[in-house]
Amino acid sequence: MTQAPLISGRSLTKVYGHLIALRDANLAVMPGEARGLVGSNGAGKSTLIKILTGATAPTRGAVEVAGEAAPLGDPKEMIRRGVACIYQHANLAPAMSVMDNLFLGRQPRQRFGLLDRARQRREALDLLERHGVDLDLDAAVGALPTVQQKEVEILKALALDARVILMDEPTAWLAASEVAKLHATIRTLKAGGVGVVYISHVLDEIFALCDTLTIMRDGCVVAENTVAAIDRPTVVHLMVGEKLARESDEAARQKRRARGSGEVRLRASNLAKRGVFKDVSFDLYAGEIFCITGLIGSKRTELVRTLFGSESFDSGSLEVDGRPAAFSSPSRAIARGIGFVPEDRRREGLMLEMTVTENLAMAMLDRFRQGFMLRRGRMVEAGRKAISSLSIQPPDGTKPVNLLSGGNQQKVLVGKWLNRAPRILILDEPTVGVDVGAKAEIYAILRRERDRGAAVLVVSSDLEEVMTLADRIGVMVAGRLVAVHDAEAVQMDEIVREIGMETA
Amino acid sequence: MSAGGLATPAHFRGWIAGNALLIAILAIVIVFSVAQPAFVSPDNLIGIVRQVALFGIMATCSTFVIMTGGVDLSVGPVLAIAGLVSYYSLGAGLPLVLVIVSGLSVGVLVGLVNGGLVAFLELPPIIVTLAMLGVVRGSALILGGPEQHLIRDQPQYTFIGAGNVFGLPVPILIFGATALVMMFVQRRTPLGLLVAAIGDNERAAYLSGHRTRATKTLVYAISGFGAALAGIVQSSQVHTALATYGPFGTELDVIAAIVVGGTSIMGGNGSVARTLLGVFFLGVVNDGMNILNVPIDIQLMAKGAIIVIALGLAARGT
Amino acid sequence: MTLRPATAALIFFFAATVAFFCLTAPRFATATNAENLMSGFSFAAILAMGEAFPILARGIDLSIGAIVGVVGMVVFDLTQILHLPGYVILPAALVTGAVAGVINGVLIVRLRLSPFIATLATLAAFRGFVYAISGRQLVPGLTTTPITDPWITGLETYFDLGGALGLTNFIAMPWFPLSFFLMLALFAIFQTLALATRFGRDLYSVGGNAEAARLAGVNVNRTVVAAYAIAGFSAAVAALIMVARFTTSTEALGTGAELTAIAAAVIGGVSFSGGIGSMFGPALGAFLLGAVLLGLTLMGVPQFVQQIITGLILLAAVGYDRLMALARQRRLASNLAEAA
Repeated sequence: MTQAPLISGRSLTKVYGHLIALRDANLAVMPGEARGLVGSNGAGKSTLIKILTGATAPTRGAVEVAGEAAPLGDPKEMIRRGVACIYQHANLAPAMSVMDNLFLGRQPRQRFGLLDRARQRREALDLLERHGVDLDLDAAVGALPTVQQKEVEILKALALDARVILMDEPTAWLAASEVAKLHATIRTLKAGGVGVVYISHVLDEIFALCDTLTIMRDGCVVAENTVAAIDRPTVVHLMVGEKLARESDEAARQKRRARGSGEVRLRASNLAKRGVFKDVSFDLYAGEIFCITGLIGSKRTELVRTLFGSESFDSGSLEVDGRPAAFSSPSRAIARGIGFVPEDRRREGLMLEMTVTENLAMAMLDRFRQGFMLRRGRMVEAGRKAISSLSIQPPDGTKPVNLLSGGNQQKVLVGKWLNRAPRILILDEPTVGVDVGAKAEIYAILRRERDRGAAVLVVSSDLEEVMTLADRIGVMVAGRLVAVHDAEAVQMDEIVREIGMETA
Repeated sequence: MSAGGLATPAHFRGWIAGNALLIAILAIVIVFSVAQPAFVSPDNLIGIVRQVALFGIMATCSTFVIMTGGVDLSVGPVLAIAGLVSYYSLGAGLPLVLVIVSGLSVGVLVGLVNGGLVAFLELPPIIVTLAMLGVVRGSALILGGPEQHLIRDQPQYTFIGAGNVFGLPVPILIFGATALVMMFVQRRTPLGLLVAAIGDNERAAYLSGHRTRATKTLVYAISGFGAALAGIVQSSQVHTALATYGPFGTELDVIAAIVVGGTSIMGGNGSVARTLLGVFFLGVVNDGMNILNVPIDIQLMAKGAIIVIALGLAARGT
Repeated sequence: MTLRPATAALIFFFAATVAFFCLTAPRFATATNAENLMSGFSFAAILAMGEAFPILARGIDLSIGAIVGVVGMVVFDLTQILHLPGYVILPAALVTGAVAGVINGVLIVRLRLSPFIATLATLAAFRGFVYAISGRQLVPGLTTTPITDPWITGLETYFDLGGALGLTNFIAMPWFPLSFFLMLALFAIFQTLALATRFGRDLYSVGGNAEAARLAGVNVNRTVVAAYAIAGFSAAVAALIMVARFTTSTEALGTGAELTAIAAAVIGGVSFSGGIGSMFGPALGAFLLGAVLLGLTLMGVPQFVQQIITGLILLAAVGYDRLMALARQRRLASNLAEAA
């Protein structure tokens, strides 16, 4: 007798306006199965998960749980039917305690409808013990370090005793020991008949943990297989598509120019910020791309923010073009020729309701000023040129930027700085949520800048990206810059090892 | 995936949605003029503009504050205190220019305090301007007491409110000039773009190198300026300075005009021109209802219903 | 239960204010004044607690004063024109307030209007409704006829607890108004609701992170509507108290009350970012404002200065709240430093 899958999605399609996020996708999980879900950013994995958990309703398609049709777009229903999820992004109420967050929406009750605090605490303590986690139940979740917040999220899902657990990049913020713990937990769950869907960029984890694999690209499921029957290069090829795989191979074989033209544009000496990072020293040369990599949480973003002036460092020194620099605000850094593409383009980079032209001009309004007035004509003209040289789609400067795809949005964000011809260009995770095509285009743009003579500093957690793009590579672990290599002289395994180093 | 989306019916619908307010104003004018022909008499129409002049000045100047995602609840008392300060300056024998400057300065000063607290201390605008509402009202009452102060024998000052230039009442000209200046600033200067950018994403504007805190302070100063200007015009119109002018409800009417015009209360893209539409729309509706002797209860409920409908439609449109 | 630093600070300020005025204001430390404080500001405390619910849900209710007016006029009409008995009118009043609150909630949840705009609109609409149903306009003679229904007038009762407990032999005791006990009862109910029920947890989570609440299965819409209904309900209680006090109602009843309610809630530590605060703060905040106003009046400070001082207190409260938030951030940074 064939078993019904724990959960199955059929012909799922999701359209947002003009954007087809998901096209006719199928996914099923059997009891005791761990199914990996892989694909580049923008392939549709998160959308698929959101439909399966009821967080969003599909435009077309159906979801069944244990053989029964399930209502769409109703998170409460799905939880009731035993579907739990560890979402990728912060899903906790920051002002509430750990205990309250663990039991969000389902606190145990006494007779009169009042909360049974005692029982809640007992269950919570039991939960912590069962999974070997140490957390202060009464601490406000917003005050916890990100790693612990992630633990709360994981526990929250595990506490539901679900039959299917979907995990969207669950290890993104965890250290190696916690990843091992989570994997052990997953194996225990599998043995108990629970089904797991595991989204991750780290193919190693997929191959180590999962039984089966679904590969997505551009909103479609392009392949399904057992993990045993497929190998890594095939997976990458399927994720990325033939053409781009070739381009990326070519790109990887490009000549590297460590230290560029030899001119030091920026020199950091013993930069430190109490509680964040320390002993950071490096030189950044004109005509090179220097990538700083490390785990999420290694404080690279905090470091580059101090280079740009949106935050300040406590000690150490910074020199730009040979002159000392301690920027108290971004406008000063910009005046010295630094441009900064922040990590979260929606929250820190773009004015989503404003047009492409306006966003492109945002960092250089003074160039379009004449007396009191803003020369919109010139602004539009400059925008047109940027759109063309960056291949921004659709090539319409009057479109509000939030209607563009992630990749094109990122191009607008980068383009905003290119117009200023910066001497130093800093980018923080420049291709997160960007489709593979736009990724390649952005790499080409960065190489053009480098060849133009700019000093390019890229913060990236994507090792493949780092190996593809960098002339030199820096590794940051828990707030310290532990190593700097010439890209041509180092192998990826060594970098991986250095990244995974635990702090003493 | 859709085939272009330029089919005529959709395009037409889009045009209607974008110009809904203008169409609504025209529709209402037609309806009212059928019900009461006197509505479209030049006297009444000019009367409408005159009535909305004060509101119009305040609403156009406060639009930037709303565009940055803030709000200014203190405009009513600022209106009153500006009139009082002008009154006392007149009494002190100062020349007209200084009188006006003193009145306007009070508004700018209050605006700077509002803006400073909001921008530099990052206090919530609703509370800051609410508190300043009390502080300014109290100050106005201290300055002028609860009595009316008649402005007599000041023909130059009175001219502001009651005079005519080329057949048009001066308040209307002042309103027009203010509106034109604010529209110019909003559309043709970097400040206008920056204000929308701050409302859309202040952090991104800051990271783009803009002095967001100074800009935010400035928009509150502009709002205070507008309220003060309105205060001067009003005290001149009625020859009276009174500490309780601009009663509670004034600020909410100003916000209603801006919001009905289409600027979102959450900030971001906005338009002084659309605020003008909002001002005229509410003014036409008000005047029409008065002419038709609609009782005040219906008027108030209609005002509420209008705000709900206008914004509900706007939300649907997106 | 540990006290939040904001609450501790509020208690301290209240005590300090009372002490200050006891020393500097003549007749402040008297039974009469304590009575005035309770009878004059219990309704403000009730409104402040009611206003706290929408603010906790990351919204705001600008129409709470207008709802007071609506309920007041409904009571007036029911007793003076329709001559319904008091035991019918009281529940009717409470239901009216709750329904008005539900209207607010529905506008916000169904039409997706921002709470500021929605309650701005209902502020106008409700006030218009007051005029529309105004019995005073329909039957002008009623403007001078006091309400005599014992159920209603009974709300304005004073209890000589001091005498009953024999304390008046030692110290002059104020007579406690029923409104004060109503306030205490509502405080107990609301505080329990907020802190010890699932609804309360849902409310705080919706205010703290509505999306997280939704994904955890919380019915966000229902919670939001309930928050506004509770605000309307408290407005109804406050209206009953005031109508009982004045033995009549006017079209202007409650005008401007929302500002006091919001101010008291903010002073009481309810944060505009949602999900932070409880009932204790708003209630004490209302009495703090009351103590300040009464004290200043007894000191002979003119009304106008009182307005200024109230505004300054509000600024100080919100500035303090901001300082606390910054300190929290700094503490987090140093926690991370220790963990590193």
